[in-house]
Amino acid sequence: MRHRGLERDGIAPYLFLSPLLILLAAFILYPVIMNFVASFTEWKGYGAMKWIGLSNYHVMVSDQAFWTSISNTAILVCYIPVSTIVTVFVAALLREGLRGWQAYRAIFYIPNLLGPVIIGVVFSIYLRDDGSLNLLIKWAGGSTVRFLTSPSIAINSIGMVQVVWVHLGFGLIYFLAAMNGIDQGVYEAALIDGAGFFQTLWRVTVPSIRFAIEFWVVFNFIEVFARMFSYIYTLTRGGPGYGTFTLEYGIFVQGFEKFRVGYSSAWSAVLFIFCAVISVMQIRLMRTRNS
Amino acid sequence: MKKASAINAGTRLLVQLFLLALVIVSIFPLYNVIVASLKSGDEFAVNPFFPPKSPISANFVYAAVNGRLLKYAVNSLILVPSGLVLYLAVCVSAGYAFGKMRFRLKRPLFLLVLFLTIFPQLLLATQVFKLISLLHLTNTGVGVIVTWVAYFSPFGTYIMTTYFTDMPYELVEAARMDGATPLRILVQVMTPLAMPMIATIAIIGFQSMWNELPFSLLILQNPAARTLTLGIAMMRGEYGIGVPTLSAALVIAMAVPLVMFLVFQRRVTLGATAGAIKG
Repeated sequence: MRHRGLERDGIAPYLFLSPLLILLAAFILYPVIMNFVASFTEWKGYGAMKWIGLSNYHVMVSDQAFWTSISNTAILVCYIPVSTIVTVFVAALLREGLRGWQAYRAIFYIPNLLGPVIIGVVFSIYLRDDGSLNLLIKWAGGSTVRFLTSPSIAINSIGMVQVVWVHLGFGLIYFLAAMNGIDQGVYEAALIDGAGFFQTLWRVTVPSIRFAIEFWVVFNFIEVFARMFSYIYTLTRGGPGYGTFTLEYGIFVQGFEKFRVGYSSAWSAVLFIFCAVISVMQIRLMRTRNS
Repeated sequence: MKKASAINAGTRLLVQLFLLALVIVSIFPLYNVIVASLKSGDEFAVNPFFPPKSPISANFVYAAVNGRLLKYAVNSLILVPSGLVLYLAVCVSAGYAFGKMRFRLKRPLFLLVLFLTIFPQLLLATQVFKLISLLHLTNTGVGVIVTWVAYFSPFGTYIMTTYFTDMPYELVEAARMDGATPLRILVQVMTPLAMPMIATIAIIGFQSMWNELPFSLLILQNPAARTLTLGIAMMRGEYGIGVPTLSAALVIAMAVPLVMFLVFQRRVTLGATAGAIKG
């Protein structure tokens, strides 16, 4: 083998990278940095910035909407284990080679295909106080559940729809691909030893796809912290009140509805820290797997 | 090949029933939308669940014309493919540089790209909006396309990089021996070989841009400029739109992604896991 590290390709790689790097600098790096600057100012998003030090942060920590956003995010995070257990379990069932398993996999994938906005609007109809699900509940003798209009229930509805229901389809494809890589001999040995389904799942399947599960959990964290806006916008518009705010949604309301961009930038700074931690976790996972 | 299975025949039936129930629960909301779209407001009021007695198409006409979905669909069909061309050019050329070229800042730059993949639109939105206004690109297709490409290319670049990294270096070496310039090697040698992965990121990019909401919401404020996704999101809040009309709008919007899935099924599912599982 030649020592590839010794010679370099000169200027060409930088030219090939320049479109990407220019776009990243302008649309991601600069905004992230400027958010921090703006968070110390009073600013409407246009015109002059007025330096006000840490005031925005003081206001933020005594803002009930901010803490509701944080606790809502925590509630959504609680749906990650639920989603993981359900998805791995169903994937393990499909792995058994049941008739029609590919059809199941395709059907469960449909929500991922349609995208957050269509899914959000579909469920905004389905979960209304007078929507189909409530009609069914009434028909079965229950009383109306205010899925989207009660502050304590609405965030859980979003968790069920996005974290559990939408992700099931993606997770099945993902985990089935991972399980496909497990040596069949291991399963045969487990069967000869008389291991049942759950024992095999716990002792053989789960340890063999540990990496996939770790990735899946990080992916879910990204979804909860950074991909929730479209669902909230279409399902509840952050309401009732600020009952379904997350940091993302709060930034939207403060920045683009109330034009308190300086203040919304303080929220952005907090969201940045969460995302940066998740991003580093993801990079570390990628590197342990590749090495 | 028959797999070793810890489930016996009797249990199999139970499992099938369980999965079937799960499918019904999972699909019921979508079924609901489809049947509602074919009903008049009066029929929907008395028969919300079952298929319509006399299906009507009026809701579709209303959603497409009065709801302007046809116009929005045309907007999407112009913006997304244009964005996609730019996106592919950016991702393939950057992916090749990271995957097969040698330069001093490779590691830090690649880590930077990875680091920037996950930040949510709203975290960037106020500053991006300021930048777009500064460039006089609000309400323009160019404004939203450039923003989309910038936002979605780090992930596409990452996938292209892993693909190019795994390609044999001898291909580059041989082309260079023949005196080919780096640009020629990329365009004439590597790009054709990378077509399978380019097709995969094309689908990922298409889906990402087609479904994108926050940036289009902020940049395309003129109602005539809306994308289909944005149009649907805004329609939900409009006063006086009945469930049948909104359902018809949803069915129209579902058409493109579903057709894509049926045509490119294998590649769509591959794309779903491309970022996470190698090979």
